[in-house]
Amino acid sequence: MPTIDISLKDLSKLVGKEITLENFEPEALLWIKGEIDGIDGDNIKIDCKESNRPDLWSTEGIARAVSPFYTKERGIRKYNVEDSDVYLHVDRSVDKIRPYISAAIIEDITITDDLIKQLIQIQEKVTTTFGRKRKVAAIGIYDFDKMTPPITYKAFKPTELKFIPLGFTKEMTLKDILIHHPKGQEFAHLLTDFDKYPIVIDNKDIVASMPPVINSESTGKVTEKTKNLFIEVTGINLDDTQVALNIVVCALADRGGKIKTVLVDYGEKHLRTPDFTPKKIKVKFTEIEKITGIKFSLKELKDLLEKQQYEVKKAKDCLEVEYPSYRQDIMHPVDVIEDILISYGYNKVTPILANLATTGEISPIEEFCEDIRELIPGFGAQELLNFTLTNKEILFRKMNLKEENCIEIANPVSNKWTNLRNAIIPSLMDFLEHNTSQEYPQQVYEVGDIVIINDRSETKTDTRKHLAWALADKEANFTKAKQIITYILTGLNIDFQIEEESNDSFITGRCARIIANKKVLGYFGEIHPKVLQNFSIEFPICALELDLTELFTLKK
Amino acid sequence: MQEVEVMRALQWMENKNILKIKTDSKIIINLGEFGKKYQKEKLPERRLLEQLKDNKLILSEINIPKEELNIAIGELKKKAAINLGKEVEITEQGKKLLTKEFLEEKLLKTLPKELKDLTDEEKLAYENLKKRKDIILTEEIKTRTITLTELGKKLTKEKLDLDLIETLTPKIIQDKSWENKSFRKYDIKTTVPRTYCGKRQPYMQFLNKIKFKLVQLGFKEISGPLIETEFFNFDVLFQPQDHPARTWTDTYHLKNPTQGKLPDDLVVNRVKHAHENGGRTGSTGWGYKWNIEIAKQLMPRAHGTAVSARKMVQGIEVPSKYFTIARVYRPDVIDATHLIEFNQMEGIVTDPSISFATLLGMLKHFAIEIAGAEEVKFFPDYYPFTEPSVQMSAKHPQLGWIELGGAGIFRPEITQTLGIDTPVMAWGLGIDRLAMFKLGIKDIRYLFSQDLKWLREARMI
Repeated sequence: MPTIDISLKDLSKLVGKEITLENFEPEALLWIKGEIDGIDGDNIKIDCKESNRPDLWSTEGIARAVSPFYTKERGIRKYNVEDSDVYLHVDRSVDKIRPYISAAIIEDITITDDLIKQLIQIQEKVTTTFGRKRKVAAIGIYDFDKMTPPITYKAFKPTELKFIPLGFTKEMTLKDILIHHPKGQEFAHLLTDFDKYPIVIDNKDIVASMPPVINSESTGKVTEKTKNLFIEVTGINLDDTQVALNIVVCALADRGGKIKTVLVDYGEKHLRTPDFTPKKIKVKFTEIEKITGIKFSLKELKDLLEKQQYEVKKAKDCLEVEYPSYRQDIMHPVDVIEDILISYGYNKVTPILANLATTGEISPIEEFCEDIRELIPGFGAQELLNFTLTNKEILFRKMNLKEENCIEIANPVSNKWTNLRNAIIPSLMDFLEHNTSQEYPQQVYEVGDIVIINDRSETKTDTRKHLAWALADKEANFTKAKQIITYILTGLNIDFQIEEESNDSFITGRCARIIANKKVLGYFGEIHPKVLQNFSIEFPICALELDLTELFTLKK
Repeated sequence: MQEVEVMRALQWMENKNILKIKTDSKIIINLGEFGKKYQKEKLPERRLLEQLKDNKLILSEINIPKEELNIAIGELKKKAAINLGKEVEITEQGKKLLTKEFLEEKLLKTLPKELKDLTDEEKLAYENLKKRKDIILTEEIKTRTITLTELGKKLTKEKLDLDLIETLTPKIIQDKSWENKSFRKYDIKTTVPRTYCGKRQPYMQFLNKIKFKLVQLGFKEISGPLIETEFFNFDVLFQPQDHPARTWTDTYHLKNPTQGKLPDDLVVNRVKHAHENGGRTGSTGWGYKWNIEIAKQLMPRAHGTAVSARKMVQGIEVPSKYFTIARVYRPDVIDATHLIEFNQMEGIVTDPSISFATLLGMLKHFAIEIAGAEEVKFFPDYYPFTEPSVQMSAKHPQLGWIELGGAGIFRPEITQTLGIDTPVMAWGLGIDRLAMFKLGIKDIRYLFSQDLKWLREARMI
């Protein structure tokens, strides 16, 4: 789902093999479910369709995943991790606000342009999509040389503390940052429900950041001179903060950084992060065969999985596999089975046509609607297909009707599409208004969906099938509409009555409703000149609207 | 022969310089509808005069229909035949008129008559009657005198069968008078006025053809409501409630109505557990607190898979194949390649034999049967509800490689939660691209065309 910017040169350097568009696009890119979205010389945009693989949302992540494709690398990539003596104290004051933090130190990193670009990209993509716009995970990266451990993660009152937010020059209170800083404004909603805001602060009381909103100007700035980094991820559940941390740390390690752990002290428990312990899952052989439809040998499965950066640990009645700690998309054995198939190659699978003993059938109501659709052109009418989205102006004001309770969109893209239609005649009128320069007579019809409010229904609405027909012609009159109604209803052997209907869209005394079995099936008549004028139409129009859902039940 | 036919024939011959047409017109006065009536029951003023012969009468005593009475009184006053007070009374002049014909009565007797032949007295009566409703009728009668030209005369001397049949009528067929005659030859190259027949909308026709194909392939059509709960749109399909695709900008939400009802607690609870911890499906679940209030929210259906979700909750047969052509809604900007309301063709297939290999088999079959594809290629893809997931490209004879559809096997968190033990494959076909090709359009908006001219002239598919 996210679009990732990468440079092929940078990718080649990370993989250790020359990668060009020619040897990348046809296969390796499929491996990561990517699609090229744009090419600008060496820079390409990749649409990453997998929305649960944040580990792929950087050049480093892509390089790592496609590496087995170009090199002999197999299994889970190993990282050297040393423990540091840095403590990160978590104060209980953050418990109800943003309870978890995971952190790491990266030493001896050479900060290049490519790295800065990628760091910004990882932070943005991971916290936006995977981090649910920083709610679930927010990443902070700092110049560790400017910090004095131990570090504390603690909540402060909005006016209790001041610091200079990134990009600003003046100290501000936490409250003012949320009001005045652009990032403060963007993410204030994640904090303003609380009476205290979380802060990462060092032993000298220098503020590093106010997660998940903004870093401080003093430590939260990474430049080409920076040598050592402190990284933290805060969030509302531990796993997600660890996944996000490992993604960032692995990317930096892939560029030569040395990883050092931080001891996160929650009081009663201590956690060392980052934690690269592989995750485990069991996959039954029978399940693999059933889902893939292919009989793989154990060796084949081992090879395929190792190429996908799994480690196969045991294999008795099932495969016990390990996978990298930064992957969080594996919830069920089927997720591993898909990786086996991708590793094998989709196009190597022989398609099998299953012969199932089923009978095809058009839904009865659709079949009935189709019968009506086939009937109407016999009268000379052109079939239309209109949107069901419309607006109150067309549905009510132009139709000279009082506004009725109808479906209303909360987030329309334009004021043209704000409601779902409750009748089709307004759609036909709107169509005719668009075509007043065309030759008359104009005779049109549509059989389609309308939606009405019904409080008793499960969805508080009923979707019904309607037929509407309209004739714009100097000789358009009540008789013509009645002829069609009579033809349809007598043809269906429906016993119906016609009663006078008062409907302000029609001329008084020239509008009728159709009653059958004590239910109203529809109405028809001559459209009122006021309505014609509203739609800028200069020809008389007769029209009809028929509830086919009702008619269908009656017919049965 | 009808006048128009004769005229056409004559004009044709005049154009060919065979004859000359001279047009004269005369104006004929004839009896109108009321004129004919009054010939039988006398003019209203005559009837009034006769009623007044012996008595003065007040208005209500006069036995003449109201709409005629005013005219009768007016006419008699003009002729000074009555006095009007509380009562109506005949004058001396009136009494004389009792035995004398009115000029109008005289004129009516002589009709029909040509206007130019009227005497002065008759003209007076004519002007008078002309003002009244439907008593007399003035018609212009055109006389056309036909004379043959030199060419025409020459042609008649040649052996030319002038006794041509213009229009074949029932009478000619019945009396067999056509037997020894020829038919006039038409100028078959003349342009004719355009006519538009009533016909089907081309995109609807296209969808129908695909529908019938699917029925042939053993698929049953299913449908669902246009307004759905988020439960069927997303939750049943194991899309976490904070999933980016569920956000405000990617789907429509409703201002009215806002919340619907959910199916029975059993289903709702199982879905809740699947999201929170995987339930009994062997999955870890998404690990968050599932909120029933979000699931109740209503929205315009965002994808056709909601129809399949509803069907699975209702219960599916084994084996079965279902399809739907579902209208779906997405907030977007409408342009040549985007619509905010469009059709998705989707479906599900279930059988114990379903596997990735049979999934590919079905997709390939679709490509050949529906798109007329010569070759297919499969790619890994991501859909939130299927695992494994696949996308198919098909080599269309004219379009080349096109993305034709996607499919996958529903995650166990979906099917097992709903008590479905057999694997269910879900598929969707991107048919609009094909439709645009078939319809010869480059702009997707024409699928829902607002252009009557285009619809009238659209070629048949």
